[in-house]
Amino acid sequence: MNLPRLLPTLGLAFLTACSSEPDLVVYCSLDQEFSEELILRFARETGLEVRAEYDIEANKNVGLATRIREEAASRPRCDVFWSNENTQVVAMAGDGLLEPYDSPSARDIPAEFRDREHRWTGFAARARVFIVNTDLVDPAEIRSMWDLFDPRWKGQVAIARPLAGTTNGHMAALYDVLGEAEGRRYVETAARLARDGSLNVATGNAHVMRLVRDGQAAFGWTDTDDFNVARDAGFPVVAVYPDREGVGTVLIPNTICILKDAPRKDAARRFVDWVLRPEIEAELARSRAAQIPVRASVPRPEHVVGVEGFKAMQVDWLEVGRSIQQRTAEFQELFLK
Amino acid sequence: MSRPLVLLGLLAFTLLGLAPIALMALRVDAGDLHGMFSERSSELLWRTALLGVGAALTALLVGIPYGFLVSRTDVPAANVWRVAGVLPILLPPLVVAMSWAGMTDLRGGLATTLVLGLCTFPLVALYAARAFERIDGRQEEAALLVGGLRTALKAELPLVMPSALFAATFAFVLAINDFAVPDYVSSVGPKWSVYADEVFASWRSSKDTGAAVASALPLVLLTALALWPALELRRRSLMTSFSGDFRAPATLRLGVWRWPALIFVLAVLCASAFAPLGRLVWEAGGGPRGFSSSVLQASFERAIELGRANLASSLTFAVGAALIAVPIGLVLGHALERAGTLGRRLAPLVLVPLAVPAILFGIGGIALWNRPITGAIYDSGWMAVLLFAGRFLPFVVLAIAAATAMLDPRVEESARLAGAGPARRLARIVAPALSPAVIGSGLVVFVLSMRELDAAILVPAANSTVLFRLYNAVHFGRDGYVAALALLVVFFVIAPGLLWTLFCRRRLEVLP
Repeated sequence: MNLPRLLPTLGLAFLTACSSEPDLVVYCSLDQEFSEELILRFARETGLEVRAEYDIEANKNVGLATRIREEAASRPRCDVFWSNENTQVVAMAGDGLLEPYDSPSARDIPAEFRDREHRWTGFAARARVFIVNTDLVDPAEIRSMWDLFDPRWKGQVAIARPLAGTTNGHMAALYDVLGEAEGRRYVETAARLARDGSLNVATGNAHVMRLVRDGQAAFGWTDTDDFNVARDAGFPVVAVYPDREGVGTVLIPNTICILKDAPRKDAARRFVDWVLRPEIEAELARSRAAQIPVRASVPRPEHVVGVEGFKAMQVDWLEVGRSIQQRTAEFQELFLK
Repeated sequence: MSRPLVLLGLLAFTLLGLAPIALMALRVDAGDLHGMFSERSSELLWRTALLGVGAALTALLVGIPYGFLVSRTDVPAANVWRVAGVLPILLPPLVVAMSWAGMTDLRGGLATTLVLGLCTFPLVALYAARAFERIDGRQEEAALLVGGLRTALKAELPLVMPSALFAATFAFVLAINDFAVPDYVSSVGPKWSVYADEVFASWRSSKDTGAAVASALPLVLLTALALWPALELRRRSLMTSFSGDFRAPATLRLGVWRWPALIFVLAVLCASAFAPLGRLVWEAGGGPRGFSSSVLQASFERAIELGRANLASSLTFAVGAALIAVPIGLVLGHALERAGTLGRRLAPLVLVPLAVPAILFGIGGIALWNRPITGAIYDSGWMAVLLFAGRFLPFVVLAIAAATAMLDPRVEESARLAGAGPARRLARIVAPALSPAVIGSGLVVFVLSMRELDAAILVPAANSTVLFRLYNAVHFGRDGYVAALALLVVFFVIAPGLLWTLFCRRRLEVLP
């Protein structure tokens, strides 16, 4: 190995690699499969050089949120955070990491999906539903969230571990909606049944979908986008929106926000305005992700149930976001045994 | 050895391998340590330790006979199985777990132990094979004359065990730091959590990062407790090697046991590599909807179209990491061995980058490199290269040190007397003499970098790696394209080693 010759070559490569500076940096935890094309289109339309960085389920969603907090303390580089759920963004707002921005594109988004201080805006939601294998169960038998614990389904039901992702926000929201005691009873029951194998605990919501799709479980909690992938592929599954007569179904929107110390705020605002347009919600509804438009006026395919088609759970997301870390610590105590 | 060169090497090792960890450790204060060993976390840790021991035992039980059969006996096509035996360690354990979960109903702790044991047995097999080859031929012949093969093996096992146990400690360390396999394998039936889950969960549930870092300390301690004695085992395994008039042992004739031995070797390979790979091929060709060559071709075309740029990035980062790690490792590994007692005392420090969970190393990388002065590095692909180099440098240092132990110091002494300076001796005498170890350890860094995800995922450049795209695609299910992409990754991971084996006569020294 000839070190004297190798080092200048490496140095030259280094300088080349470092020369490109983007006009906008977006961190996006909506699956790359659905968000990448949209971000590329924004770049084409505006002529801006956009650097998009994504998250994956494999690292338990520790990736982008942790990185934003770490970078904020040393050298902020992210301009816009497009999150596929809302609790982490609410927690970031509470920690003073976000810049208020009242986007003109968000004016027709219902108030419950917007932060009062304009630090974040929700759009294109997913519902937390039971995916049911119709070869194994009559969907009419599943009506309430508590059916998950019915002894009839012992060993045939599934949930993702509520330490990350939308299951984390879902379980935390139950404390807000059902009250402290009932919320805890639900989560504690799930943890107890998980330990003895009565409730299967999957690696994530997509895995719950696969277990039900393949008949390894009869039904389980998942998100509507995961359900739609199985439906789209022709598996014998339906989505049950539970508790229509009760507290309703949890609806978790994508959220978008500008970082407080974003180095490129003008471009960040342009991107937020672009993403929050009704056309993008419509496109996400048409995609395989089948996101639910939060604006009733946005057109959607027939298989995407609109917000008026089921009873959405009324959740105080500000409160849930504030307490999410404490709740996660409680879930950790219950589920990691 | 030139002191400035060693100091430069030490500086590079400190910057790449130790500084990210030190920055994380500095965040921990006394309050964060409170409740570190609660009843719950102690139980998790105990279970994790049992998993590690189980996986290491499985690796030993499979690896020692495997290593013996392919290195010393006349089992048919032994050389082919020896090379193929490396395959399981190159496959991501989650891929193996997913394949077996799809083919059997085995779940929970036992399944996790078996999967991780099968994935790590090549470490033991490689070390055992090398140790069996270093047994003096005359000593073995004497044992064979006295009591046959049984007596010979009885006499040789104690000589091989230090090497095998050293490798088994690496199997233990890999097993206790894995969270994906236990999580996936216990998705149906009683949930089987391990301590690595606790480390990940703590990053989401802790108000401050100090507590999250502290949550990793028990796992770090467990890893260190395994690696510390492993260094002593390694030293013994090196010492049990050649004496001055060493004679290589002859190939052992198995007689009627030749074919059962082949069945054992093939069964191990099937369970650990061929079955998972076969399942991937089956899925790439259509899987449950019916296998066809046209679907297989379409899956590969799509995988190449979508993953081409990611493959190129991963290859660039992995080659870059190897090119950086090898010169540093050459200087430090040589110095470590030649420093005698001081080297032995410093050896545990070399293992530190491997002893911490990947997530901690990755976040430490952000804390270290995401600064105004180094921001350009952090934003570029160099961040991934430096992260990989720092994380996997210990393998190079130890492999070079092991190879240096076999190099007669009188060769260097003669060069010194002839007027060659330290840098010249290193470049012209030591490096060529150790070339199998230099290239072999570089290959190890390449392979590990190609399949690294947990630490890399936290830095910007990770977005362009092929493993990132693969796991992104796995999220929505394993269709043909995902299986084809996984096979492409496996191919590129094994390609350099395969090419070397096919076209070069010298055997690579990859063992630390």
